[in-house]
Amino acid sequence: MLDIQNLQASIQDEKQKTKEILRGINLQVRPGEVHAIMGPNGSGKSTLANVLAGKEDYQITNGNILFNKHDLLSLEPEQRAAEGLFLAFQYPVEIPGVNNMYFLRSALNSIRKHHQLPPLDAMDFLTLVKSKMKEVGMDEKFLSRSVNEGFSGGEKKRNEVLQMLMLEPKLAILDETDSGLDIDALQMVAKGVNSLRSKERSFIVVTHYQRLLDYIVPDVVHVMVKGQIIKSGGKELALELEKKGYGWLEDQESV
Amino acid sequence: MSVVMKDQHEMLAFQKKQLEMFLQRGLPTRKEENWKYTDVSMLSVTPAKTGIQTEIVGLDASCSLPSNAFIGGWHDIVFINGNFSSELSNLKKLPDNITLMPLSQAFELHSETIKKHFSHEFDVKQHPFAVLNSAHAKEGIFLHVPKNSILSSPIKIIYYNNNENVMTSIRNIFILDENAETTVIEEYISKDKNTFTNVVTDIYANNNVKFNHYKIQEEAGAHTGNIFVNQKQDSQINLFNLTKDTSLARNDVTIRLAFTGAECHLLGLYLLDEDNQHIDNHIHVDHAAQQGTSSMLYKGILNKKSRAVFNGKVHVHQNAQGINAYQANHNLLLSKEAEVNTKPELEIYADDVKCAHGATIGQLDNESIFYLCARGIQKEEAVKILLSAFIHEVLSQIKNPEVRHYIEKRVAAYDE
Repeated sequence: MLDIQNLQASIQDEKQKTKEILRGINLQVRPGEVHAIMGPNGSGKSTLANVLAGKEDYQITNGNILFNKHDLLSLEPEQRAAEGLFLAFQYPVEIPGVNNMYFLRSALNSIRKHHQLPPLDAMDFLTLVKSKMKEVGMDEKFLSRSVNEGFSGGEKKRNEVLQMLMLEPKLAILDETDSGLDIDALQMVAKGVNSLRSKERSFIVVTHYQRLLDYIVPDVVHVMVKGQIIKSGGKELALELEKKGYGWLEDQESV
Repeated sequence: MSVVMKDQHEMLAFQKKQLEMFLQRGLPTRKEENWKYTDVSMLSVTPAKTGIQTEIVGLDASCSLPSNAFIGGWHDIVFINGNFSSELSNLKKLPDNITLMPLSQAFELHSETIKKHFSHEFDVKQHPFAVLNSAHAKEGIFLHVPKNSILSSPIKIIYYNNNENVMTSIRNIFILDENAETTVIEEYISKDKNTFTNVVTDIYANNNVKFNHYKIQEEAGAHTGNIFVNQKQDSQINLFNLTKDTSLARNDVTIRLAFTGAECHLLGLYLLDEDNQHIDNHIHVDHAAQQGTSSMLYKGILNKKSRAVFNGKVHVHQNAQGINAYQANHNLLLSKEAEVNTKPELEIYADDVKCAHGATIGQLDNESIFYLCARGIQKEEAVKILLSAFIHEVLSQIKNPEVRHYIEKRVAAYDE
């Protein structure tokens, strides 16, 4: 599904100084697997998620990414999405004036077009989106509002999960989708992910909290520190991190 | 001497005087504050060029009218190069009590009214092109809606111009008596860069009038336009302006709210996507009475080396308490060469007023583009979606759905 080899990426800060953020990431995700990535603030987790989705702000200085046999780095963001990559944003942007339903329908039909499928007509789309909204506990009135405009933090995250359910990606990356959520919303996110889990579909779940992983049980847990994955293990690693924090791993690393 | 001849003599004398006044003043220069960012020297309005136009152009120009220019059920009136075209006009469904006719006819049939409303002098320092218009205008529209009359379907006036190197002068006079309600769409179309239209629209809104006025400018050439609005008690006026693809457009809107409770709302859109296109909107709202409301929302998208000027001035007189005034100008630049000069101005001499103003100049938000693309939407489409979202704020305020749809179609022709 996804094969990241020695990925190095940097960003230019306001003073035009190059700052290295990803310093040789290696990660393989097979179909059907759920990978959790944990790590302290500033370790590069969100950067990895954004680089995978194709955000332009970063310079890729080294490495390769294969996604379903495609050279991911050579694809535009919209091509990546069409090929089945989905990023649930940590901070979804508000887009005033763009109707949420129009946006969802444009997105779905763009991807369908890529796969030579006919566009979904208004009625079929409405039936589909309403049933998915029920799943994520979103009121139908959000359809007629502008994309994320004036949404609360929780409503924005629900809207991200709604998009994921509508677009049915092959690989979904959830960038701290659980942060700032109450327990009901957290369970909704988990339910959304779990309903999509299948042998063909993979997930990368970026999170700070073990709590989410009680609901979305990962196959592999990675710990990222200073732009590198320094430890990988089973789901029990998350519990260990919860107890001990990241300090012991960073110490181990420096030895 | 017959009455008609006497009238004609008076009119000629008046027009001659206006021309002298204009020539004495001369074209405005960039040394004048009101013309600081707009250079009209290219117009080089010499007496020769402002000469009386006699050429009657064939109706073949009608082929160039946009295919969707006519809407069934609307009252259409069409002018080609400043000349009324009865063939293209359709006023069959117009109720009898409403007077709508070319100004040339009104000069004869309603001479008293026209004389009163035509023969007033504009301030030549402030409104030179209005004075120039007085000197030359022979054609335009005369509309009179009597007391308590409500005309539900819009009146649409099309001015099509392909008269090169001649100034086409248009004068519109709209008189609305008490409680009248009407919608007028003025549309100016020209495909030729060497055309020049100079128009004055005079609006007289009596007590309780509700009047919607939409002006669409799609002229490749130059356009100088003045709209003067006089509002009486509790009248409500909505003005809308769309300017597209113009080599030089200068719009002056002067609104006088001298009676209690009058309300005016102005909306504007300008869409420029070629080098050297230039739009200048100068708006002046004069709150001279209590409990007045005014708002202006102007938005523009500028590409390549195009330029926009916005000057919105709200003047609240000392005795004008309880005023609510709002003005906003927002600009989106799609290229590094595009330029905007914007200046919202508030001049307030009363204490009990609520005024707000704001202006922004920005670019398309890359985060928003990325968000849309990350959902599979092509970049080109994402940009289109964001541009129409930017415009939507203005278009969504057009209340009549039929008119909104018509204008949306006009706007949609603006593509990258």
